[in-house]
Amino acid sequence: MVQTDNITFHYKKRERTFNFPNIALKEQENLLILGKSGIGKTTLLHLLAGLLKPVSGMVVIDGVPINLLSHSQLDKFRGQNIGLVFQKSHAVRSLNVFENLQARLFFSRKSINNTAIDALLEQLDLNDYKKNKVNELSEGQLQRLNIALSVIHTPQVILADEPTSNLDDENCKIVIELLIKQAKRTNANLIVITHDHRIKSSFSNSITL
Amino acid sequence: MTIGKISLQNIKSKPLYTFLSVFILALSIALLLGIQQLEASFKYQMENNLGDIDLVIGAKGSPLQLVLASVLHLDSPTGNILYEDAKKISKNPLIKTAVPISYGDNYKGYRIVGTTDKFAPLYNAKLEKGRAVKKSMEVILGHTVAEQLHLNIGDTFLSSHGLVENNVHMHSEHLTVVGILNPTQKVIDRLIITNLESVWDVHHHDDNEAHEKEENHAEHHEELDEGKEITSLLISFRNPSALLTLPRRINEHTNMQAALPKYELDRLYQYTGVGVKTISWIAYMILIISCMTIFISLYKMVKERAFDLALLRTYGASNFQLIRMVVYEGLAIAFLAFILGFMLSKAGLYFMLKIVETNYKQNILQALPFQEFTQTGALVFVMIVFSVSLAIYPIIKMNISTILSNEK
Repeated sequence: MVQTDNITFHYKKRERTFNFPNIALKEQENLLILGKSGIGKTTLLHLLAGLLKPVSGMVVIDGVPINLLSHSQLDKFRGQNIGLVFQKSHAVRSLNVFENLQARLFFSRKSINNTAIDALLEQLDLNDYKKNKVNELSEGQLQRLNIALSVIHTPQVILADEPTSNLDDENCKIVIELLIKQAKRTNANLIVITHDHRIKSSFSNSITL
Repeated sequence: MTIGKISLQNIKSKPLYTFLSVFILALSIALLLGIQQLEASFKYQMENNLGDIDLVIGAKGSPLQLVLASVLHLDSPTGNILYEDAKKISKNPLIKTAVPISYGDNYKGYRIVGTTDKFAPLYNAKLEKGRAVKKSMEVILGHTVAEQLHLNIGDTFLSSHGLVENNVHMHSEHLTVVGILNPTQKVIDRLIITNLESVWDVHHHDDNEAHEKEENHAEHHEELDEGKEITSLLISFRNPSALLTLPRRINEHTNMQAALPKYELDRLYQYTGVGVKTISWIAYMILIISCMTIFISLYKMVKERAFDLALLRTYGASNFQLIRMVVYEGLAIAFLAFILGFMLSKAGLYFMLKIVETNYKQNILQALPFQEFTQTGALVFVMIVFSVSLAIYPIIKMNISTILSNEK
């Protein structure tokens, strides 16, 4: 469950203030946030993830007002309850696919369940690459690994920032279906922030910034 | 999965950087440990081998040479002095003990020293087996000599003239082993000790034979006619005031010279100390450079992997956990370098002293004092902590949102 209440953010260097609309998502509800470049989409996602603190307003996830948490509490909360998917796929380069997922669980302070990791890799068709280093994966495989990293710890919310912008239509469809499927499997809210209107039909709930 | 494992994987993923960091740091540690061990061994040898000898009296020449030859048995003697003259000096009330020594022969490179029964106590050496020398042509062996040459009580051998091993100028009289000394870690371990008569008898006999065969050896013969000779006189003072008067009196009023071993060896140490200090400074410079290499390596890693680290923060990693990751990398490099540096210093000193041992028949290497070992370890640790502290600064100042936004 995600709820925001009149959040605003101000960039001192750019002298720019963003006011964001309120969000109220119930359990397993998904949301598509559409907007042009520079409108503050990524800022909103970072506020929802607790990577930025709002100047005013409140972000509540699963009943916890995250902008009132201390740094260490926020680290812990983020690790356990939030999954992030980025436009450009990333994972720790010195670790292989399997180790990346183990590290994700380790930092989430959740028990490392190798069977669950294997099952997820199977679902995302990455089982054959689990011993591969990140730089040995194709862009598509890396994006699937990114999705795996965002759901392996069964978060409350999955936040995706432009997950399909660099993909062709076919891969765009595959990725968004995977995200929706994994969010449903883990009972998480999925919030996708994008300017990509191709995925609008996949969401019943959307707002435009 | 642990933070340590991630650090290990990070180290493994950049083998060249790791190798370079470890190797340069190991080199400086090896130099530092090696120099310290050599210095400690040199000091120990110098101080330990003096025994109770306060003064050495010998033929005029270089005082340092006299000390090196008569105390450390590393150099050739400056010449001989008359035994009669030495005995007169020995009667001085300021002198507690005066031990005459005479040498000029060797057996397989080990010096044969003719002396009295007061010689061994100067070095606190005691008989391990056998008995003391009672008559001419009997010898007792220093512990190293017996061990290296596999000689035992009752064995006999022929000595060679000179201080260097040779088979050309062999004496015809057999020397018999009657005793073996216990190990002392002092110069006496590598000496063959006999009485003065043995040395005189061997040379008197040889000179007589030579006189019969060769007319041009008249000079040696004349010396024997004038009186018996010794190489030097090793003296212990009864009280320290002798130090002020006796050496000057001998140097000014006799045809002999008096050398103070402690003073001469201190002087020698000052000369060699310049080299030791220079190498130490080079080692410190390399240590600083290697720590800078580690800092650059870690700092570069932190900067290059800023997104990786920011990503780990989104996984739930705290700043402290990321810092630990970098610290572990630095400590792992330092640990590997310390082990490698320790082994390099041991191997380097082993091969270097193998050569010295061959020349001087003695292993002079002493174990590095624990205090100096820990001092070097602590210095390396402090330098690493300093390097790592600088390298982790970007983590402390990390803005996850900015890094993730810029990577788009």
